[in-house]
Parts: sequence; structure tokens; C-alpha cells
Amino acid sequence: MNFWEYLRSREELLTFETWQHASMVFQCVVAALVIGVAIGLLVYRSPRLSAVATGAAGAAFTIPSLALLGLLITPLGLGVAPSVVALTLYSLLPIVRNTVVGLTGVDRTLVDAARGIGMGRARILLRVELPLAWPVILTGVRVATQLAMGIGAIAAYVSGPGLGEQIFSGLGRLGGANSVNMTLAGTLGVIVLALLFDACFVLIGRLTTPRGIRA
Amino acid sequence: MTGPPAEDTAREPGVATGRSRESLHTPTGRSWRALIQPAVIVAAGAAWLAYVENSGLDSIARRSLALDYVARKTWQHVELTLVSTLVVLAVALPLGVLLSRRRFRRATPLVLAVANIGQSAPAIGVVVLLAVLWGIGFWTAIVALVAYGILPALRNTMVGLQQVDPSLTDAARGIGMSAPAVLRRVELPLAAPVILAGIRTTLVLMVGTASIASFISGGGLGDLVTTGVATQRTPVLLTGCVLIALLALLIDWIGGVASRVLGPKGL
Repeated sequence: MNFWEYLRSREELLTFETWQHASMVFQCVVAALVIGVAIGLLVYRSPRLSAVATGAAGAAFTIPSLALLGLLITPLGLGVAPSVVALTLYSLLPIVRNTVVGLTGVDRTLVDAARGIGMGRARILLRVELPLAWPVILTGVRVATQLAMGIGAIAAYVSGPGLGEQIFSGLGRLGGANSVNMTLAGTLGVIVLALLFDACFVLIGRLTTPRGIRA
Repeated sequence: MTGPPAEDTAREPGVATGRSRESLHTPTGRSWRALIQPAVIVAAGAAWLAYVENSGLDSIARRSLALDYVARKTWQHVELTLVSTLVVLAVALPLGVLLSRRRFRRATPLVLAVANIGQSAPAIGVVVLLAVLWGIGFWTAIVALVAYGILPALRNTMVGLQQVDPSLTDAARGIGMSAPAVLRRVELPLAAPVILAGIRTTLVLMVGTASIASFISGGGLGDLVTTGVATQRTPVLLTGCVLIALLALLIDWIGGVASRVLGPKGL
């Protein structure tokens, strides 16, 4: 069976796993975006807390995903739970870092000017600081998505959902009839998804960047 | 008028390397503090092992956690990481320099686009695909790690060289430097921070991916994780995870120190 025949014969399963993968990554990144921006907002006014947050995110970033997934098996068991927690945690790291960097990078004179024309704290945040920091935050989300795509594939090791299932099935049938097809389908599926998501981010970036700071 | 200042800038890194190392040689207060992190990491690893070895293991767990076995797995992990990093750098650095020469510069966007696409390939997919095609083992793992790590490193080198101010290289040519001299004395020193950061990133990437190598019998600490899961021995699983995480932190620290020591001081 060649690769195309394999794809056609497993069309339904592959579509399902691709959808699962995309939906898992999307949900985890959205959760990470909400939590990450919240953390960023809590710490960005204090240089010390900002340093702690970005430092901790950087250190956690070096921890390999297999190690984290393994550590999560003990409290959470196998399946969706450890995968989702690991994906969300990894997605948090670039988002927190970029939120802090983006918000602290906002020109103080602009904030002063906003206060000068009578804006309150909340309005300054919503109308001035967040819009100006948004391109940086969005870059963080983009990195997080790429990361979550790859880690999502490893999550199949802890029985997580998604295209990693194909890769591990291929590994399990090493030397068997469809092992190459399975591995290839899983790997290419993740690459295609990652590129599609990335294209979406380019579009979102165009649409949501305030006109005044658009490149 | 741009000649003399540009020459200063160009020479500064080289000159400063010798001088500032001595005069600014990190004051004692900071140099011992820099050692806290690795000391804490090693101590944490030792404490974990001491705790786990004395926690009443059954015979299966004890066999997988025998100290010489753990040490061998750790060493395999270090080997996987170092060998693959060295190969990646040996290929990516010269290739990156070559591709950013004038003759190939038009291909740069293409190479970067390919690198971007390649980077979205999942590590586990690359590793398993190579095992499926080539068979399992240490060297397949090395090839997979190299295949996975080479594009980011190549990209980093090219971006590093690209962001060197063209007016500086022009000035260097203007004062009569040959193309190799411009590369060696202007471009590479100025691109060094980015390239060195890339080496650190490669090291960290390789430590993490090396833990996946155990899926294809490449050895390393991932073996403890897979054994722990397969035999349902939580202490083995946890030891594998803890040691991988600590090793990654340690290697990241080494990468950080290396990029500080090797980096030109004038920047």
C-alpha cells in the first residue's frame, strides 16, 4: 500500500485525529492565553515580579516535554488530562514572557499622556497598553502554538488524543506493512496543521494590530 | 568619515577580549554565586536519588534504579546531546556562513522559509520516521537529533549574520580588508551573540529530544521513563523525569556560561 492509498483507506480516522489534534492545541493555547495574559498583568508593574516570572518561564522552558508528561502521569493518570495540562503549561511560558516584555516595553510617556487626558487605570490598560503590547503577545501565542503542536504529538505516549497516535502506532509496528505510512501521516499531518495555524496568525496579526503601529 | 570609527568598532571586540577578561574578571562575589545554580541542581539530583534508593523499592524497581545503571543512562544522555550538538554545529555554522555570502544571498529567503517549515515538524515524528526507515539504535538517534536540530541552528547563524549593520562591512571593505578578513574580524564577532545564543538553544533542544531517543533504543534517561511506564513503577518513572529535567537545566547553565565566556566583550 503506498502512502496515498493509506491516506484514502484511513481517511475517516485521520480526519478525526487531525481534528482532535487541532482542537486540543487550540483549546490549550486559548487557555494559556487567558492565564498567561492574566499573570503578565499581575506582574508587569513590578520589575522584580516581572524578572521572577520571565526567569521562571525560561527555566521551565528548558524542561523536556517527556519529563513533564511523565511527572504528570502520577497525579493525573493517562489520557487527556496530562496532555492538556502539559500543553497548557508549555504554551503559558512564551505567552507570559511576551506579555511581560510587551507591556513593560510600552513607552511610559504614552501612559502619562493617556493619564493626562483623564483616562483611568482600566482604560489606559485596555485602550493604550494592551493594544500596543498586542503584537508582542501575539508572537508569544504563535510560538506557543508551534510548541504545542509538537508536544501534542508526544502526548500520545501518555494516551493523549491527536496525530501522535499515528506516529506511535508506526513505531509499534516497526518493520510492519504500514509503519512508514503511519509515521509519515502523523508527522506530515502535524506539519500541515502547524503551517495552517501559522497562516491564521499572520492573518489575525494583520487584522488585530492597531492601525497606528502597523508595519 | 565612517572609516576610522567603523574600524574601532570592528577591532573593539578582538582587543577587548583580552583586556576586559582580566580587568573585569567577574568579582569574587559574583563568580561563586554563578556556581550556586549547578550546585543546587547536582544536589537536588543526589538528594532525589538518595531518597528514592531508600524508599523500599521492589526488585524490579531496584534493578532499574541501580546506581551504575542510572549513571550509564545519564552518560548516554550526555553523549547523545553532545555528539548531536557538535554535528549540528559543525554542519550548520559553516553552511550558514556560506549561505550568507554574497553569491548565495539571493537564496537566503528560500532557505529561511524551508527552515521555518522544517521547524514545525514534530520531534517525535522525525525520530520515529528515521527509525522506521533506518532501524533503531544510537546512531539513528543521532541522525534524527541532527535532522531535528540543524534547521534552527542554520537559521540562527544566518539571522545573526544578516543583522550585522551593512555599513560596518562596507566600511571594513573600504579600509581595505579582504572578504575573509571582513567575515572573521567584523561579521562573525558582531554576529557572535546571536550565534552563541543559538548554540545554547541547540544544546537545550538536543537534551529534550534525546529523551525521546529511548523510544527508538537510542539509550539515555528516557529509558527510565519508558521502563517506569511499562512496568508501572512510579519511582523509576519519576526518577527518569527528575533527572532529565535536572540535566536539561544543568546543560542550559553550561550553555549560558559558554556563551558568556566565548562571546566578544566589546558588545
